Amino acid sequence: MSGSLWGTWGRSSWGGLRRSGRRGSTGTLPPRRGSADGADSTDGPTRARSVWYVSAPTEGDGSGADGTVDSGVWLNERHDPCEKRGMSRWYVYQSPPMELLGTVLPPRPALWPTCGPPCGERDRGHSSERVCLCLQQQSWRLWGDEKSDDAVCSVYLKKVRYHHPGRTPGDSDSDDEISHLEWETVRVRLIKAGTLERLVASLGSHSGELDATYITIFLATYRSFTSARAVVDLIIERSLRLAIMVWLDSYPADFQDHPEYPLMQRILEFCRTYRPETSELENKVTHKLEKFEKEEEIKASPMLQRILSTEEVRCLSPVQSDVPPLTFHEISERRFAEQLTRMDADLFRKVIPHQCLGSIWSKRKGVDASSVAATVDQFNAVSFCVISTMLMDTTLRHSQRAKLLAKWVDIAQELRMLKNFSSLKAIISGLQSNPVYRLKQTWLALPRDKSELFDELARIFSDANNMFNQRELLMKEGTAKHAEAFGENDKHLQKHLSRSGSNHTVNHGTIPYLGTFLTDLMYIHAGIPDYTADGLINFDKRRKEFEILAQIKLLQGASNAYNIARDRPFERWFDAVLVLDDKEAYELSYQIEPHGSTSSHGSSSGSSRDKIMRKKVALGHKKHDSLASTSSSSSSQFFGEMDSVSSPNESSASFERHASVMSTSSSSSSVPSLDASVTSSATNQSQQSARKTPDSALQQKPDAGSPYITPDFYIIRVTIRTSAHETEGINLYKSIMLSNSERTPQVIRNAMIKHDVEGNTDDYVLAQLLPDGEKVVPANCNVYYAINTAHDLNFVLRPKKDAASSDTHRLKESKSKRKLLMLHK
Amino acid sequence: MAGGQRAGAMSKPPAASGNLTTYKLVVVGDGGVGKSALTIQFFQKLFVTDYDPTIEDSYIQHCEVDAQWCIMDVLDTAGQEEFSAMREQYMRTGDGFLLVYSVTDKQSYANIQHFHTQILRVKDRDSYPMLLVANKVDLVHLRKVTEEQGRDLAAKLAIPYIETSAKDPPLNVDAAFHEVVRIIRTSPPSDQDRKRRRRRRGRQCALM
Repeated sequence: MSGSLWGTWGRSSWGGLRRSGRRGSTGTLPPRRGSADGADSTDGPTRARSVWYVSAPTEGDGSGADGTVDSGVWLNERHDPCEKRGMSRWYVYQSPPMELLGTVLPPRPALWPTCGPPCGERDRGHSSERVCLCLQQQSWRLWGDEKSDDAVCSVYLKKVRYHHPGRTPGDSDSDDEISHLEWETVRVRLIKAGTLERLVASLGSHSGELDATYITIFLATYRSFTSARAVVDLIIERSLRLAIMVWLDSYPADFQDHPEYPLMQRILEFCRTYRPETSELENKVTHKLEKFEKEEEIKASPMLQRILSTEEVRCLSPVQSDVPPLTFHEISERRFAEQLTRMDADLFRKVIPHQCLGSIWSKRKGVDASSVAATVDQFNAVSFCVISTMLMDTTLRHSQRAKLLAKWVDIAQELRMLKNFSSLKAIISGLQSNPVYRLKQTWLALPRDKSELFDELARIFSDANNMFNQRELLMKEGTAKHAEAFGENDKHLQKHLSRSGSNHTVNHGTIPYLGTFLTDLMYIHAGIPDYTADGLINFDKRRKEFEILAQIKLLQGASNAYNIARDRPFERWFDAVLVLDDKEAYELSYQIEPHGSTSSHGSSSGSSRDKIMRKKVALGHKKHDSLASTSSSSSSQFFGEMDSVSSPNESSASFERHASVMSTSSSSSSVPSLDASVTSSATNQSQQSARKTPDSALQQKPDAGSPYITPDFYIIRVTIRTSAHETEGINLYKSIMLSNSERTPQVIRNAMIKHDVEGNTDDYVLAQLLPDGEKVVPANCNVYYAINTAHDLNFVLRPKKDAASSDTHRLKESKSKRKLLMLHK
Repeated sequence: MAGGQRAGAMSKPPAASGNLTTYKLVVVGDGGVGKSALTIQFFQKLFVTDYDPTIEDSYIQHCEVDAQWCIMDVLDTAGQEEFSAMREQYMRTGDGFLLVYSVTDKQSYANIQHFHTQILRVKDRDSYPMLLVANKVDLVHLRKVTEEQGRDLAAKLAIPYIETSAKDPPLNVDAAFHEVVRIIRTSPPSDQDRKRRRRRRGRQCALM
């Protein structure tokens, strides 16, 4: 009863105050206005007015609705356009029959980011908010601001109800005999802005003047306005032991500054001065220090680190030669969705919420935001996987490609059931990316029900009304056990849900699309000043940020509900999907449906205009290609290329260096096969050191060769040499994986794909570069056993003398050259 | 709210706002070029403390451009620049684009061309309503891209150019958004766009 709304946040499902039409978890919900309002559809364009619902008794401000109001009251918010939002009143209606009861002041404005009244006046035609407002046994009324030299506080009058007369409420600052009281009004101060000293001092206050989670908000956001060092100093100055304990437990990483641990030392020093009161803290600090040391030990040992990091960088585990690699068709939709969800859940749980803050994410190149970047990379990898599978085989008939498309739609539907909005959006984005979306024939060949299902799924991410659908869905299902709520129009999803009703015994977590949170936080960062006009730290801003961080945290907790076993064959397949860059994707897309012959999905344009455009856009491609390559999507490709140009001798060292760069940034967005080779090289080494290998060839050359060689497969590096070779003097190497079951044509094919060379494998020969010359690999043999592993695994791919290189070949060559030139810039 | 206020300050929007055309404006550009600050500045004259980015109509505003009222619906996915795969998805919904770079960041200037190409590809057109926006011109001493370079790029892309600053006092922020509406109005819409805009208008009617 005495818990503040903030306190409620962390405990119950969506806290006390949420914007939502329905809340399955609240028993106090009134009868909805039902179908009359048409509010049930997720895209509900018919919602016409702002409706605020108060589920618990609330108090008027004297100007109307005096006393309590029964449940089933709708607050219809009306703004006087001249008033600032904080001053507006809420109009309280009885429902039914929508009788005006009076007006009330809204509760704490500080909470508005989640319950926020719409910022529109009635005639705006777009205010379609439906807000569920549950005041939970208490009401707040803004009394006013209280200013002092070092802080500004909002003072609220809070009505506290006592359900058990005689029990002293913990939150009351009144000493009166209250056993006979049903309720009373207490004053609550919330710090809005203050000096750093004042903000820190408030961490230790137990007078009840602070909301319960002040310290949580402070610790989650302080990095935006100060340093850990400054806070520690001030905390120690004030002997706020409890605050340090909470801090140490919630954000140990803040203290993990190896090797001196100055902050820990500072705290220990403090503990020693004030023994014995501080003994508990001292124990904690000593314990944590030991833990940090152990972690450093692991970090310092490359071997241990690699073993541990294998989990993180999803490396290729040694290929079992007898198990053929999976194909896209073999992977069931459910399995696909589950595995994506497993990967996403792992990454999402690792997201450090404060790395999402605008002040940190906006400087993502300069500060550590790797936990967020990792989810972004995975998102892009999923999208690229969609694009790649849709376009790679240009020989498919439209109906066959439509089958692939249908499969992706089905996977997306499974993701929806699993409430994995991250990969769901990634797949929708991939299918809506232009090279895929423009394939009109393919989309026309998609069965109607699949096409409608796609529309239903895409609608979730409609950007209409500030991503309303997506936000609302997340609120409804965020902490629900499984997917349940669908709009009236989502017939296919509803059907699927009722069909798979038996699965409801399994609980699912939720993985949100992180981007929306990032944008919201970016806007708070840009839109609200860090300091007030008086130079005080604007703590209200931090409260707003925290509301979003709290949602992330809540969902992270919920995502623990997933229990999906790891599926290595799937991961191998996923990591090996070839990633197309922008230009490649368009080339393939135009090959499938020539430009101009069809216009993009859903559009209808004249053919004459198309012809003109075809020319112009084609020109545009060439002109802008180099620029396109600088975009973020191809940045990781840069690594791969860089690696390729380095000379064979120094490359093993540079390879290792890149490996570490790669694993820290865990960049899997582009060129996964290269990533794979890098990560596997790291693992293989550790595996080798960990267990003895019987392969004598390996022992002969343990240092230089080892990162590339493993008992089950080799990483070989292949350059290409053609008569038309324009890059004389530069060895452009590409790494490919060679498993112990691959025969010559397949290896040549892999090398050709890597080098963007088209043509017949029969027209090429593969030769190993040895100190005493080249050794040609026989035309049809198991390459794994045919090569000389005593030396570097450097190969050359050459066209056979009689085979003329095709035009496409030339084209691809010049492209490689262009990439090289970029590197030299 | 802010939109309403500002509109109110000038003159009242017509009562039957449901009949107004809605223009979807999309703000694109690298991270850190100040896109969000521009958008916020446009929607709220002063950065008020109870600013809330999550509510539904945060980025919708009635505006009078050349004595003609319209509804501007601005989409700006600041913070999501790295989700490169979803860019085309939201480009598809735009009626007009602000291509924003920061005059303090050469790379953001260089990347404009890429956004330009991407929009034309997504729209499947050889030209589309766009405006080149050189932002942060208040940071004179940090400026790395000159006005001449900006104008050269604009000429090359055949789109208009404007210099802006979202810092108080703002420079050309309203002008930039209004200019895009003008460009949309003067450029011949494709059938597809006309259809979409009409559809949106239809929904507005249903709302009323």
